[in-house]
Amino acid sequence: MIGRRQGERREDTNNALGWRFVQAGRLGPGRLAQDCVRLLDSAAVASALLEPVAAGQTRFRMHGLSPDGRGIAIGRELLVLFPTLDWLVSFLGAYSDEASLDELIPTMTLEHVRREGGGHAIVMRCAAADGYGVDRLQRVSAATRGQLYTGVGSVFLRWRHREAPFGYDLAAPMSAKPEEVLVVDVDVAAAYATVDRMDPVELIQRLQLRPVPLPLRGISSDPEQCGVQDLALALVAPGLAARTLAYLWRLEIPMAGHYVELEGDQRPSLLLRLRNPSRRALDVLSSTPGVELLAPVSARAAVEVGYKHPIQLASASACFPGEEMFLFRGSVGRVERLDTAPRFIDGRHLVKNTGGSRLRDIGQLRDAELDPLRIHLKLRPSSHPREPRGTLIGWDQVDLLRHLVYLIPPSALAASRLVPLEEGVVVLTGSSVGARSAAAGAGLGAGAIVPLGRRLGSVAPGVLVMDGYELWPRVRPTLMRQLLGLGAEDHALFLSATSDPIRVRPDQLLPLDAALIGRMALGEAVVREPVDAAIAPGEIDNQKLSRFALWGFGGLSGVSAAPALTDGSDDGPGPGPGQ
Amino acid sequence: MSPPLAAFIESFVLPLLGGGTVAVRGPIRPADRDEMAEDPGELGSPALRFLRLRRAQQLAPNPDLPDPDLEELTLWIGLHNTLVFDHPERDRVWARSTTWRRFEGATRTLLTLPSTTDASEGLARHVSVGAFVQLLRRDTVVTTAAGEARYMGQPVPRRRLFFAAPPQTGQREEVVEWLNTPHAAETDRLVEDVMRTSPLTCLLVPRQAPPGWSPLQASDFLQSRGIARSIVYAWARDPDWVGVGAAVTTALLPSVPLPRGESPDAGAAPSAAADASEANPPGRVGGMLALPGVIVPTSPEALSAVVGALIHLHFLKVVELDARLGAITSARDPGTLAFLALPLILPMIAGATGTPLPGLEGAGMGRAAGGVRTGPSPAGAASPGASGSGTVARRWAEYLDHLGELVPRRTVDNLLAALVPRIVQTQ
Repeated sequence: MIGRRQGERREDTNNALGWRFVQAGRLGPGRLAQDCVRLLDSAAVASALLEPVAAGQTRFRMHGLSPDGRGIAIGRELLVLFPTLDWLVSFLGAYSDEASLDELIPTMTLEHVRREGGGHAIVMRCAAADGYGVDRLQRVSAATRGQLYTGVGSVFLRWRHREAPFGYDLAAPMSAKPEEVLVVDVDVAAAYATVDRMDPVELIQRLQLRPVPLPLRGISSDPEQCGVQDLALALVAPGLAARTLAYLWRLEIPMAGHYVELEGDQRPSLLLRLRNPSRRALDVLSSTPGVELLAPVSARAAVEVGYKHPIQLASASACFPGEEMFLFRGSVGRVERLDTAPRFIDGRHLVKNTGGSRLRDIGQLRDAELDPLRIHLKLRPSSHPREPRGTLIGWDQVDLLRHLVYLIPPSALAASRLVPLEEGVVVLTGSSVGARSAAAGAGLGAGAIVPLGRRLGSVAPGVLVMDGYELWPRVRPTLMRQLLGLGAEDHALFLSATSDPIRVRPDQLLPLDAALIGRMALGEAVVREPVDAAIAPGEIDNQKLSRFALWGFGGLSGVSAAPALTDGSDDGPGPGPGQ
Repeated sequence: MSPPLAAFIESFVLPLLGGGTVAVRGPIRPADRDEMAEDPGELGSPALRFLRLRRAQQLAPNPDLPDPDLEELTLWIGLHNTLVFDHPERDRVWARSTTWRRFEGATRTLLTLPSTTDASEGLARHVSVGAFVQLLRRDTVVTTAAGEARYMGQPVPRRRLFFAAPPQTGQREEVVEWLNTPHAAETDRLVEDVMRTSPLTCLLVPRQAPPGWSPLQASDFLQSRGIARSIVYAWARDPDWVGVGAAVTTALLPSVPLPRGESPDAGAAPSAAADASEANPPGRVGGMLALPGVIVPTSPEALSAVVGALIHLHFLKVVELDARLGAITSARDPGTLAFLALPLILPMIAGATGTPLPGLEGAGMGRAAGGVRTGPSPAGAASPGASGSGTVARRWAEYLDHLGELVPRRTVDNLLAALVPRIVQTQ
């Protein structure tokens, strides 16, 4: 708007001057007036090279500009001017973090240019997308000291900003010299001549890796951060290939390998692909000289663990044309470029088999031959202390148990079970078999608290043995329950060394509190009806008065049989007032 | 056939006192009363005496009731005849209105009883009249195509049910309070006579009291500790307890006019009667405002009893945490304002009436009638036994403060001028 106002003011001034010259009569509207106009125009150009585009403007002085959907003037190409190459790399890194470089790289050109008045710069040119994409480029480039211009061919205009929300248009047609690019800002125009051209793909491939800190406790402490959680690549030096393969084979790590010939090496190196590598293997491989761990960042690029590429390679697949694979090695500062994608071979084909024996499948198991091996599960004395899980109380001590019930905590009382047997009463802590409460699961039942009888310890879930004994041989608890043939919630009690064990089914376990505490009979409440009903309001009953009106009313019904009053009136007797 | 008196007592009096079906038959003439009085032995029947005693025990634990006499029989017959005027088949008895007027006069004569001389006699009157006031009636409403037909205290004839709508909607029963239903004109006049026979009933149901009634007529009951408690508790049971208190106060105000020399036109301190006149402005200027009300000669004890009972009603509501006055803040009724102002004059009459919180005078009397605090309120330090009543004392003081903001200053001044000197007897 300012530029337009300035232009209008200039034209008015020119007209006024020309009219004045003509009116004076001393000068005609000829050459002298045109010179004056030209002079004024040349003086005004320096301050207004561009003029803002108005809302809805569709025609522009500069060829190649066109409005997008929002009315912003966009050229077919974009030009970003960076002061140095470092800022260009920063721009590419920042942009790849946010968007995909694949959209830019196919049309991107990088040039080292020299300014007409002196100075150098790096110019990035690419095709323009819609206004939103250009705005994003503007935001990222501004953060990396870049200046964004839009245009076509050799003339580029400044991109829109706050004072010109719809962009700029040339105030006057301008053109650049051949092999030059003219960059026009609001008040200055600069011409740049190309000195050198760079291939963006090659630039990205040649960038130096940046070291990143590894976890203090090694890669194994946080493989996900290092990018080797699910898949890792290992570049093994030729002399270490066989030993590394043997080591990984012993660890049963799924792996595949491919021998690659690196430039400058006599023998091929081994590139291993490890799926779900164990943490121990990662530690060993990362600390072994000659073995480099690489984290795959895309299908055809891998970066050594401990380093990072300045650009997000995952968003720049266009940088890796063809079927080549790139291994970015930070420790040696090289990028290994494999001609084709590695064709990995399964690890079992790479290891060397040194054994001579062969495995043979068993055709049929011979059960009969196992009988001589079978032994009996015996009860033998033991000094191994066990947690008491129950107690066997003789019938002569039941009275004492009855008194002790008052002292047992409620949770322990609720968790305890009781089994009445011939030998006595077995009080069980709610065992881990079918434990329905925290107290029972923790073994805090009455069986562990009552200081009576003989204690029973648990050798397996639900298998209780007298204190001072154990089952021999010591087999696995689950196997022991299988050997004893116990059901899901059955208990086995070994009450003496001479007698057979007892199987207790769940329905035979009585709750201790319910079994010991006698039932309290509640007396039925007897409600006594009050002798006299409550005083209630009376209810009016208008009884039938079935007398003919003209015959009068002969007195109180049931009170007097004969008419009591006769006053001689035609409507019958009536009461006399004041009677 | 049973004797007439026995049949009457059996069918009417006993159900009236003890509950049940109160049979309303044809009119009972004074001659019938005389016939009944020839054999008054049934008046001493145990059932009747027992029911009277139980009725009286609702007010006093050990009532000293006189034996039923002919005067009480006359009252019962008057009550019966009052109900006859509301009988739906009344037209079948006498067709001429003159006869009914004579019958109304005869009934009024029956209900004109001498004033009670002592509390026991008044309690005996209330036994009958109080039961009369509480009478119920079961109405049957039959819906027909022509509309609804109401059978008041009567069974429905079968011929009407034949034309009724479907059974589920064709017939319904309603139990109504007889006193609150519309009555015949004679009944309305006779009910006032009925209420005049029992001052105690008027005191308990002040909104049904006849015009000209004064609570001072029943002050004897309020001077008896047990009956006074029953009366105040009966007032407190009413959800509209402010209305009950206002009715009693309204009846009391004509008995306590301003002393001579302080006319309502004096301007500075209009009397309580002036407050009452504001509700009904005079028709013409300069004329007599209204006929003076019935002024009952009062004694300081009688006034103290009535005012104390009304203040105790306030106190009961404070104890019950039911003293919500928000809905009546806009009340301009002089009786209501005077009733609300009564606790504010308590410090002036405490010497004659006592206080609801004995020993906590400082707490309960925190605010004087003029709105000025009379002194500190050491609720906890007032007496050793008052520590439990400290909370009540605090609530009572807050209630008095609330009343002080609610009641106009002029109402309190009127009570100070008209009521306090008659109780305290300063002159």
